Formats: sequence, structure tokens, C-alpha cells
Amino acid sequence: MSPTDAPRGSVTALEVDDEGLLVRGAGDGPVDFLFGDQRVGSFWLRRDTRPEGEWLRYPWPATLRRFLNGVVTVTLADPADGTRWTSYDARLGSGEGTVEVRDAQGHALALDKSNRLTRLFGDRDAAQLEPLLDALEVVIGALEKAGVEPFLAYGTLLGAVRDQDFIGHDSDADVGYVSRFEFPVDVVRESYALQRRLREMGFRVQRYSGLGLKVILEEPGGTSRGLDVFGGFSRDGMLYLMGEVGHPFRDEWLHPRTSATLAGREFPVPARPEHLLEAMYGESWRLPDPAFKFVTPVSTQRRLNGWFRGARVGLDDRWARSRAGTLPPERTGPSELVRWVAGQEPVLGTVVDVGCGRGSDALWLAAQGARTVGLDYFPPDLRRAVRRAERRGVEVRFEWMNLGELRSVLGAGTWLAREEGPRIMLAHHLVDATDRRGRANLVRLAKMVTRSSGRLYVQAYTAPTELSGRLGLDPVDAEQLSELVVSSGGRVEQVVELGEREAGMGEAPPGGPPVICRMVASWTR
Amino acid sequence: MDPLKRLLTRRRSLSERVRVLESEIQECRQLNVRLAELCDVVTELLLPAADRDEAALTEVLERYRADIGDPLAR
Repeated sequence: MSPTDAPRGSVTALEVDDEGLLVRGAGDGPVDFLFGDQRVGSFWLRRDTRPEGEWLRYPWPATLRRFLNGVVTVTLADPADGTRWTSYDARLGSGEGTVEVRDAQGHALALDKSNRLTRLFGDRDAAQLEPLLDALEVVIGALEKAGVEPFLAYGTLLGAVRDQDFIGHDSDADVGYVSRFEFPVDVVRESYALQRRLREMGFRVQRYSGLGLKVILEEPGGTSRGLDVFGGFSRDGMLYLMGEVGHPFRDEWLHPRTSATLAGREFPVPARPEHLLEAMYGESWRLPDPAFKFVTPVSTQRRLNGWFRGARVGLDDRWARSRAGTLPPERTGPSELVRWVAGQEPVLGTVVDVGCGRGSDALWLAAQGARTVGLDYFPPDLRRAVRRAERRGVEVRFEWMNLGELRSVLGAGTWLAREEGPRIMLAHHLVDATDRRGRANLVRLAKMVTRSSGRLYVQAYTAPTELSGRLGLDPVDAEQLSELVVSSGGRVEQVVELGEREAGMGEAPPGGPPVICRMVASWTR
Repeated sequence: MDPLKRLLTRRRSLSERVRVLESEIQECRQLNVRLAELCDVVTELLLPAADRDEAALTEVLERYRADIGDPLAR
């Protein structure tokens, strides 16, 4: 494809208000928007807008809105060559001062391709990138040592091959490798082993899927930066690489690896990187597009999802809502459920609150004298819970666990089953926040921990309400939940149906319809 | 049954069969991670437990859990 065939748009008119940009233009393609001389974001003229009268509306991304108070000159420009199409002087919000999109230290921020505000490479000088280049070398070296053959991937590979530099509108560095195994199960096991090796070497590692890792590195100034490590494998002439590639590929396009220059240093790349770039970005990969969105075929998505994903139910949404500041406010006192449990159980030995959030129930239980453990999969909530416990001088063990990962559940179960009894487990609006696998794993965990020792207490929505919708909860069928317990060899001791007010959810008047159930279950050896 | 109706019914039942097949394939794919997780637990946790060394087992367990994911570690 020649450059002139690539998707292009051009802008003829612009207006700006508190809702977003109003644009007129021709064609479709990437558009940069600048505040003064600072590029703040990019969008596609038609794909990312909606018609509004004679105009096309690009609404302000939620993450940007808190900055939009004051005067600002907004300019639209062509990302390919920097041509400035048009500008508009706007007064936004209360109109006081100047709009500045900067962090607390005064660094310019811009939206990355996922609409997250970050410091982008284009705004950093060469010296600031040195730690990242060092980090890339370290991680690539570590992966080599751990037995795989890493190479630059995605935006980092694109920058190295096209410009011998980081892409200005990019904000992270990506590394890939192709497993020597050809079955997903072996590829995942190799990834687990890789994670352990990296941890042994002293790295902090987060897992995103059965084949996707993030290696976290501390940068000067106390900030941390993650390097994504995308695993892949090939079989029968197809290459699959997390998170977007499923493409016919020849082995000689990968091996032997060669090298490319990135910001003055040499890094390994596949033997024929242009083929991988085409698989990643399509035939027009040579043309800059800061608003690029992957259009991964459904069949590839299905394959990668089925083989490797499914452990992050609700987590990405929680992060997105957390970043946009739209998470519902957290309860500060104990729930009605935990008070009820305390009334039912004469002795609170060890109490495990699964899905503890910011720890309100766990803190209350600890204050009642229970040995308390809070488990959750959302790190910001856990950190807040830890700080709250420290402030109050209460002893609670807050630990990370992901119900979507069997390894995590079995590991936690093995640990907790050895804690002092009686062991009681709570799940306050957890089964209605997870999926089938999460529910099965909760029952598995409860059986491991409470068997012949204590009980599992669950509270969940059984019918949708305005509040359940706002909280992002998905009502469950109480009978199916009972069946799950019974089929695991457990006994349902009690089922109580409650209105929202009685269950301590929201401000509805008392005596509302029974939309919530409480269930008590136990297992014996 | 008139031929058009028969054709439409057949198409509907075919698309339903495809939908079911797709979900069955997806279930099979999901066994990959499941099997990998089970193998991992057996080799990393169950085999050390068979040694019956309590102190070593506690250490193995803590390390295993931290290796899976420890976002709170700094």
C-alpha cells in the first residue's frame, strides 16, 4: 500500500465547548488536538466522533475533564506532517486562568491510545529516556537468561524500525517473545516459570493473562513504569502473539533474530521485523497514526481469549472507573451482613473477608477481636485498606488474591486452611460481581478453608435494582448458588431473602421486595 | 412444509448449531489455562508438601503465592 492509499482526513472548521470538540472536515483518519503547543490527544475524524447537526462531535474523554477550566487555544493538526488545520480560542468551565494538562510536578500529560493521561515520550528529553532504555536492556537480558528469545514488540518495534527512536505519542515499552512450545497449555506453563525466574532476579511482575506479563521497574523520582512482555507461539504456519496478533507467519521471519537501533542503542528484533509490523498494524504501518486502534479479527480474539484470558473479570472495568473517578463511594462502616454474622457466630476465630474492598468489614471484625484476613484483587483498594488498618492500629492481614486464577485460589486456600479455627468466610456482594468461574472458585476456597471448622456467609443480589446497576452487580440465581454448594459436597444451612434496606444496601424504604439473598453454607470432612 | 419455510428453518437450526459449536470450542480452549494451573500447583506445591517438612512447606507456600502475583510488594 502506498502512503496515499492510507486512511486520511482533513479538517476545515473547529469549535470548542464544555462537551468537547465540534469539527467539520472530509474523509476519515487521525487528527491531533493540541492545547497551545502541547499535543494532548488524537482521534479519528469519523470513527471517534458522532454527528451533531452540521458538525461532528468529539466528546472530551472523561480523564481529561478535570483539567478543563480556563482559557485555551485548541488546534487541530495532521499527525503525519504536523500541518495545523485550524485553531479555536475557548473558555471552558468557570473560565478562570489557563487550561494546563500537567501532573503535580508540572510535567505535560497527554492521552495515550487507551485515553489514559500519561507522560509521553515526545515530551521527554533523551536523558530522561535513559532509565527506560536501561530497563529494556535489563528485562531483555533477564528474559534471555530465563530461556526465551525476546524482541522489541508493538509500538517500540515500530519506533525502532521506522524512526530508530521511541514514537513520540507512545508512553510505554513493549517486549515480545515466541515460545518454543506449540500447545497453549505448555506455553502458559512456560510463562509461569518465566514469572518465577523474573521474581527470583528481583523484579516485580504482574500477570495479565496466561501469556501476558508486566515487569515493573522503579524509576528515579519514585515513579514506577511497567514493561509489557507479550508471549506468543506458532504452530502450523500461524503466529499468535498476545495481545492482538494471529497471522500467517514463517519461522524464518522470526529466526535468527537481528537487531535494530532504538534511541542510539541496539536491541533484538525478529529476522524480518516488517512482517511482524504488518501483522500488528496492517499494511500502512509506515504512516504515523497516534489514534491507531487494533482491528483484531474476531477469530483471533476468540482464540487468544479462550487459550489465555479470563482471569481479569471486572478488573479492567474497575481500573477504568477508578481512573475516571466514577467508582461509587465506598461504605465507611461495617455492613449489615458482617453485623449479622457476628450475631450468628458465638466465636469468631479466623474470619476471611473475600472481596474485602477497602476493608471496612475486616477492620470492624478485627476491632471485635477476630483474627481477620481481607482478600481482594484490586490493588488500590488493598493499599487503602492497609493504610486504614495502620492508622487505626488494628491488626488485619490484607492480601491479594484473584478468584479468576485457580493457582491464586489454591495457594490462598492452602495457607488459610492452616490458620487457627473456627474459620469463617464472608463474601459481601462478591458472587454477584464475579462470573461462573469466580463463583466456583469461591466455593472451592470456602470448602478448603471452612471445612469442619466454620461457615461461608454470602450476600448477593437476586434481582436487579437501580442500586445494583449503579454498583455494577449482576444478580445471581439463589438456586444455582445452592446447587453449586451442594455439588461441592456442602450443605446450605440457611437462605434468607431480604429487601435492600434490610440488607443494608442503599436508602430504599423498609419492606421493599426481596431482591437480596443471604446464604450460609458449610462443609464437613 | 413449503420449501421456503423448510430452508429458513434449516438455516436457523444451522446457525444455532454453529453458536453451540463455537461455545464448545471455547470451552475446550479454556482447558489449556486450567490444565497449566493444575500442573503448576502439583509441581510447585503438592510435591514439596509430600516431603512433610513443615517449615520448608510454609516457606514454599509463601513464595508460591508471592510468585503468582504480589501487587502490594514494593
